[in-house]
Amino acid sequence: MKKLYFVMALLIVASMILSACAPSAPTAEDCSKEEVFCVGLVTDVGKINDKSFNQSAWEGVQKSQADGVADVVQFIETADAKDYAKNIAQFGDAGYDVIVTVGFGLGEATAAAAATYPGVRFIGVDQFQAETVAGVSGLNFPEDNAGFLVGALAAAMSESHKIGAVCGTDVVPPVWRFGEGYKAGAAYADGMMGSTTEVFVVYHSDVGFDKTFTDPEWGAQTAKSMMDQGADAIFGCGGLTGNGAVTAAAQAGAYGIGVDTDQYLTLPEAAPRMLSSAMKLITPGVADLVAATKDGTIADGNVFGAAGYAPFHDLEGEVPAEVKTMMEDINAGLLDGSITTGVPPVKP
Amino acid sequence: MDWKRFGFIALIIIVLFGTVVMIGQVKQPPVLIITSMLATTIAVATPLTLGALSGVFCERAGVVNIGIEGMMLTSAFFGWLGAIYMFHVFGMGIGISITLGVFFAILTGALMALLHAVLSITFKVDQIIGGTVINILAVGLTGFLNRQLFFGAGSVFGGSVPNSPGVLPTIHIPLREIFTPLCGTSTACLVNLTAINRVFDQKPIAIGAILLVFFSHYILFNTRWGLRTRAVGEHPKAADTVGINVAQMRYLNVLIGGMFAGLAGAYFTIESVPSFEPLLTNGRGFISLAAMIFGNWTPIGAWAASLVFGASQALLINMQIFRDVIPPQWSFLQESYIVGLTPYILTMFILTGIIGKTTPPAADGVPYEK
Repeated sequence: MKKLYFVMALLIVASMILSACAPSAPTAEDCSKEEVFCVGLVTDVGKINDKSFNQSAWEGVQKSQADGVADVVQFIETADAKDYAKNIAQFGDAGYDVIVTVGFGLGEATAAAAATYPGVRFIGVDQFQAETVAGVSGLNFPEDNAGFLVGALAAAMSESHKIGAVCGTDVVPPVWRFGEGYKAGAAYADGMMGSTTEVFVVYHSDVGFDKTFTDPEWGAQTAKSMMDQGADAIFGCGGLTGNGAVTAAAQAGAYGIGVDTDQYLTLPEAAPRMLSSAMKLITPGVADLVAATKDGTIADGNVFGAAGYAPFHDLEGEVPAEVKTMMEDINAGLLDGSITTGVPPVKP
Repeated sequence: MDWKRFGFIALIIIVLFGTVVMIGQVKQPPVLIITSMLATTIAVATPLTLGALSGVFCERAGVVNIGIEGMMLTSAFFGWLGAIYMFHVFGMGIGISITLGVFFAILTGALMALLHAVLSITFKVDQIIGGTVINILAVGLTGFLNRQLFFGAGSVFGGSVPNSPGVLPTIHIPLREIFTPLCGTSTACLVNLTAINRVFDQKPIAIGAILLVFFSHYILFNTRWGLRTRAVGEHPKAADTVGINVAQMRYLNVLIGGMFAGLAGAYFTIESVPSFEPLLTNGRGFISLAAMIFGNWTPIGAWAASLVFGASQALLINMQIFRDVIPPQWSFLQESYIVGLTPYILTMFILTGIIGKTTPPAADGVPYEK
């Protein structure tokens, strides 16, 4: 029996060690010093190399280090939503100057931490603030604009005049705005080109909130289902779930449209059929806010970055010149405000 | 045959499909809706079916296996890793790399099952704890190795995930070609035929899973092996007295179960999407267990139950596709989170025993002491 307990104990300990993937205590003990400018980043549930959201924010932090703004940069990957506060506290206790928390899901934990660590500047990526939270700058993006751009593009390029979007849960306002912007963009392109496009938008609404962004198999099946019904362009919005959808679309020869970053570069399996991506310019947005913190020009509340669409890459030749012109016009119109998407900030 | 149970399952699936057809027919022809939903149902049910078969073999032999989730996740990782390794490091062809990947996945499933067998049969550890160990180990092991092998310093792949060799091809069953002459000049007939053909155009593991269901049924209920397996799961002492090696039977069946879970893992990274993501199985191993119970520990029942879960996912997708044409009096169907509850509500209904009691093998979860 003793031997058995030993074996069990060994297995349990081994599995715990293996589970503890998060980096241990920050390497720099100097962060508590005034002259050392430290930036810490806490990911949403998922990995730093998620080819999407966490990764672009982290690249923004790395950029601020390359630009000479930050001296020490470090990240912690969140393995479970229960650990948000604990992970933020690791940086707070170590005396970091800026803590970047990535994703809507960390909003509450970030606001709570801002009260605990008053001297620290929090940058909440994708954390829209209904009421201004002291110490937190919410970096938001006009997702509806980004969705609008690719929706217009998909509608203009679709031969079957049926296009689809596979998204994470619509409980998250940015995801919902992507989806609704996509519909609005398709309608706008229809108005320009005199076509009628049917738009399928499906949100992954599972009871587990974080699960809706980490389910590539669900995304792939949903995309296939849309293609079975005639869709020939699929927009994947929502982390790994969306990646699965875009990959499935590309394999079936339909157009894939990425999200958040230029996914042509990050999703090699789908690259040959990747039409474009609805981009949140997260990397420059984060880097700018880190620099503003150092300059002392940063303010609490919502800050808006920019949206855009990614280059066509391999499909450059397939996109007709008039569609390219239309896209440039729409982008310019959205930037100067002459075109609006009509999508409210949160789901009514 | 448990006709009441199958009738109930068929009824649920018909209701789910019927709802979508009624709502969606203003936008799409019913044939297209039904065939599209069927294709989705079969694909979604594939890993659940294989997972449930894994459970059936283990539990019929008297070993509770709640580690299916972990076995699937580990196999998905190592199958994918194996395929990439064969392709990039050993320079093998695409087809052979993918095929070997599937074998790696099955082997991984068997190894994880071996661990479970050693714990629960040799050491007589509480089987729930043994399964939990496997689930935790799988999350840690795959997360850790995914990072170390691909992103760590000195990684063979230079710090980035290489392109996977791809996924298994779809097998085209040429129904359309065979039946086209019957259509004559009718275009509608051709369109329908193409749509119907799509249901049968599945990938190898999806087709394999269905064949394995019937094969497993045959093995369990029509062979000496199956009789012995059920004997050690129902009354191991009686089996022992007639000279059946209880430990050996249990070991082998748990290993077979592990191989099924391994094939389910291969489905995720080698058949569906050519990439591995941490935690990508997302609780499907546990849904498999529910399917196994729903199916009353029989292969065909478990398959039917998996199809219900597949159909409810098809419902969720299509309700949103047809969101704009949902009649106002049914507006609750527009709320995707309400529709998303369907599989969970169904599971609860089923487990309450409304459609007849489910009976586990008598010695399920009980270690055998001579």
